[in-house]
Amino acid sequence: MKPIDLSLFGAKGAIVEAAEGKWGMAIDQDLCTGCQACVVACAMENNVPFVGEIDAGYGRSMHWIRIERFWEGEYPEIRMTPYRPMLCQQCGNAPCEPVCPAYATVHSQSERINLQVYNRCVGTRYCANNCPYQVRSFNWRDYTDERVNDAIATLKNQYNPDVTVRRRGVMEKCTFCIQRIHRAQDRAKAEGREVQDGEFAPACAQACPADAIVFGRIDDLRSRVSRLIRQKHGVHYLEELGTQPRVTYLVGGAS
Amino acid sequence: MISSVVKWLSEPLGRVALLIVGLTVISGAAWGINVLQTTPEQPIEFPHVRHVSMGIPCLYCHPGATRGPSAGLPSPMKCWGCHQQMEITKTSPLLPPLVAAIENGTPLRWVPVAQVPDFVQFNHRPHLAAGLNCEDCHGNVAQMTIYQNPQVMNMGWCLNCHRERSAGNPELEKKLLDCGTCHY
Repeated sequence: MKPIDLSLFGAKGAIVEAAEGKWGMAIDQDLCTGCQACVVACAMENNVPFVGEIDAGYGRSMHWIRIERFWEGEYPEIRMTPYRPMLCQQCGNAPCEPVCPAYATVHSQSERINLQVYNRCVGTRYCANNCPYQVRSFNWRDYTDERVNDAIATLKNQYNPDVTVRRRGVMEKCTFCIQRIHRAQDRAKAEGREVQDGEFAPACAQACPADAIVFGRIDDLRSRVSRLIRQKHGVHYLEELGTQPRVTYLVGGAS
Repeated sequence: MISSVVKWLSEPLGRVALLIVGLTVISGAAWGINVLQTTPEQPIEFPHVRHVSMGIPCLYCHPGATRGPSAGLPSPMKCWGCHQQMEITKTSPLLPPLVAAIENGTPLRWVPVAQVPDFVQFNHRPHLAAGLNCEDCHGNVAQMTIYQNPQVMNMGWCLNCHRERSAGNPELEKKLLDCGTCHY
């Protein structure tokens, strides 16, 4: 199915951008073992709270990346599909952006990723409802409050100072570790050079023991990630919605 | 019920009551704003003016500004580097907290004044690299005792400068006016 060209309907501005992005990711599902190291690393890096058993029971778990698995076939011939780490796809044509009444989720013009501005967010949750990948998570409580989360007294010592600690009532999602992008760019600029490919990685890519997650510039044809995403077995999930995902999954490469 | 209250408010006694309520609200707001704008008390009433007039550069005590996000506040050991050789350390009424901090190995709990909220990620380095000087944002510290912000440090103030400096340069405009440059 062909992606829908939103510009045909008169949509313009931030939600329509050229097909090429800036930062992108390749996730090799054949290498992923489902070990959840990326999930943990992401939560540590980005101050993603633990919601506790009760809230998790209500489906309020907060993860910026999760490992999805599905079963296919009829019983008894059931086969598990490869693990699929699902995170914000940083869509070039993001469905979450036009529905935000507060302009809290906007497209970054310089990094060409999808931003979430926490101090602007009023918590309507329209963006989460409109996200086909279901990767946005909402702060239902002040998980930084000791009355809500009694483990936080010790856990708050490991907050990452480079990332905002979100409060109740705001939406949050994967940022492609924009704090690391900025830090790498800042260091490169201080040394008077360009950011090198592979110089830094988001927390999930750094933690992946199988090296299944590769991050880099997709507008640079020589980078490792853009060589990977140009392989024949690369797929974009829900691409038919016209979202222009920036995360490419490599699946079935061995067969 | 409501109409009788409105009627009473238009009578002399009601007008006096309205005036009192109005004055209370306004003075409460004024007091609140005043509290928010007051410079907090510091462990030592640090005279920036004396140190700057001796020719000590800002970066001697706040060296982080050229390297990274935070300029840093000096530890007692940094003060002691000069002050242990100075007569005034024994005589000045301001300095017993410093001597006590050194003797007990306790920190001086400076209260940061030039601060941004948690949801703003500020970095000193690119600002200095862009050719800004300390006094462009922090005012004339050479005339100050305890540091005071010369203006309210809010987003409008940041953006004014970002707009001015990026005007006419689309590449810089993209970067400097992007939400994700400061908020993540």
